[in-house]
Amino acid sequence: MHHSIELEDVHLRFGHSSVLDGVTILASPCELVAVVGANGAGKTTLLKIANGTIHADQGRVKVLGYDLSREDDCHSARKEIGLVPQRTISHRFPISVEEAVLMGRYGKIGLMRRPGKSDHDKARESMDAMGISALANKPVHELSGGQQQKVALARALAQEASILLLDEPTTYLDADSSSEIMETIHTMHHQRKLTTLLVSHDPRWMDPYCDKIYLLKDGKSSLIRG
Amino acid sequence: MSLVQLLAYPFMQHAVLAVVLAGIAFPLMGVFILSLNLIPLRFAMMHVALLGGAVGLFLRVDPLFLGLLFCAASSLVLGPVSEKTKMGLGTLSGYMMTLTLAIAFILFYKANIHVVQAFSILWGSILSLTLWDVVLVIFVSLLILGLVVLFFKEIQAILYDREVALSVGLPEKKLYYAMVFILGLTIAVSMRMIGALLIDAFVLLPAIAANLVSRNLKQVFFFSSAFGLISGMGGLYLALVFDLPTSSTIILVASLIIGCCILYQRRRVFHAKAASK
Repeated sequence: MHHSIELEDVHLRFGHSSVLDGVTILASPCELVAVVGANGAGKTTLLKIANGTIHADQGRVKVLGYDLSREDDCHSARKEIGLVPQRTISHRFPISVEEAVLMGRYGKIGLMRRPGKSDHDKARESMDAMGISALANKPVHELSGGQQQKVALARALAQEASILLLDEPTTYLDADSSSEIMETIHTMHHQRKLTTLLVSHDPRWMDPYCDKIYLLKDGKSSLIRG
Repeated sequence: MSLVQLLAYPFMQHAVLAVVLAGIAFPLMGVFILSLNLIPLRFAMMHVALLGGAVGLFLRVDPLFLGLLFCAASSLVLGPVSEKTKMGLGTLSGYMMTLTLAIAFILFYKANIHVVQAFSILWGSILSLTLWDVVLVIFVSLLILGLVVLFFKEIQAILYDREVALSVGLPEKKLYYAMVFILGLTIAVSMRMIGALLIDAFVLLPAIAANLVSRNLKQVFFFSSAFGLISGMGGLYLALVFDLPTSSTIILVASLIIGCCILYQRRRVFHAKAASK
């Protein structure tokens, strides 16, 4: 069967410690897949491997048919992958929400070229979809954790990515905000027909929304639902 | 002698040209230093230049030229080495700083080099710039301006979040290495102009002031250049009129600008709070 994300028998060591020891995660087109596990289980590392930021020591890593063991393929694949990192921006960097969302277009625009009208339209459309248009001119560092997650999601939308990778989307959020963010991700996933892989230490929010759930423990993966 | 008459002298023409160009271009690198937390790199470059100077004196080659060459070469390899070894740029800079200092002192001792002569590479002087120095300032300034104008959106993404820049498909590593390389060159040339200990006058202080009053990155770059130009020219003017050391007067003007920006920022926050009530 054809998969959009194929991580098969992935091994990775940091120094003497084994982080991933034969992990397999498969996501078919338009599937919403979660990887759950305790803090330090290697979930973020796994996401970085799926984004080509870290290379596995061993195993097969393919995203949209791109072989991520090759640097050229990584560069091409990243333009199709929307990444929503875990952390929020707290330092005072002068950038507005609209500018941060527009960044999703940068890889597609090409080097040394300025964003055109269509890029700005796409950014505004993405902010509308995430319900953050009213915040367009606000500095990102002044937003709450939930609002910053929506900015990152809007950036992934503007990127017109077909793969969405999310790192702990509900961390730092209260119950209401977590539920709202998961609803937003679910809607975005279905409307845009995305393949979504998210990692979380909190399985509570994954169950109602995900097609498949993997557990990552002691460097090994097991399919617990789907 | 009036200031206009002074301009007839080549040393004065060199100084004014260097101050105008460095005032506009060098603070742009200060924005990089602040946003990417590269302050240790600045200290490492000072010590690398010192080693270059020591080698120059040992080999009887121009110590300033070798200082520049060492800075250029080390800034070219620092970025890739820090990525390969997974040592942060700050840690690697600290390592490089102490190692180069140790080697420099061995050279001083074994080759019987006069230490004050070697350390003179760290004291710059705007009023003693040669034509070759000015050509270097022009070259580095154009490199900085070209980088910022042509790659503004890429730089914006890297300064905001390197991981985001990489994830949207930008060649983040190559651009980051280029930024570190040009930063190394800027620090080396600044040392020749105003001395290693006062580099902040041109590179950091205008960027700090601009960060206080700007709402977006374009404004940060614009105000950094404007404040750099004002403090450079203002400092040079005060130094000539009151017969004071130029580097010190430039720093005084730059510090005064920062003070004004702090007041402006506090006033803006006060008004914003009042309006929200």
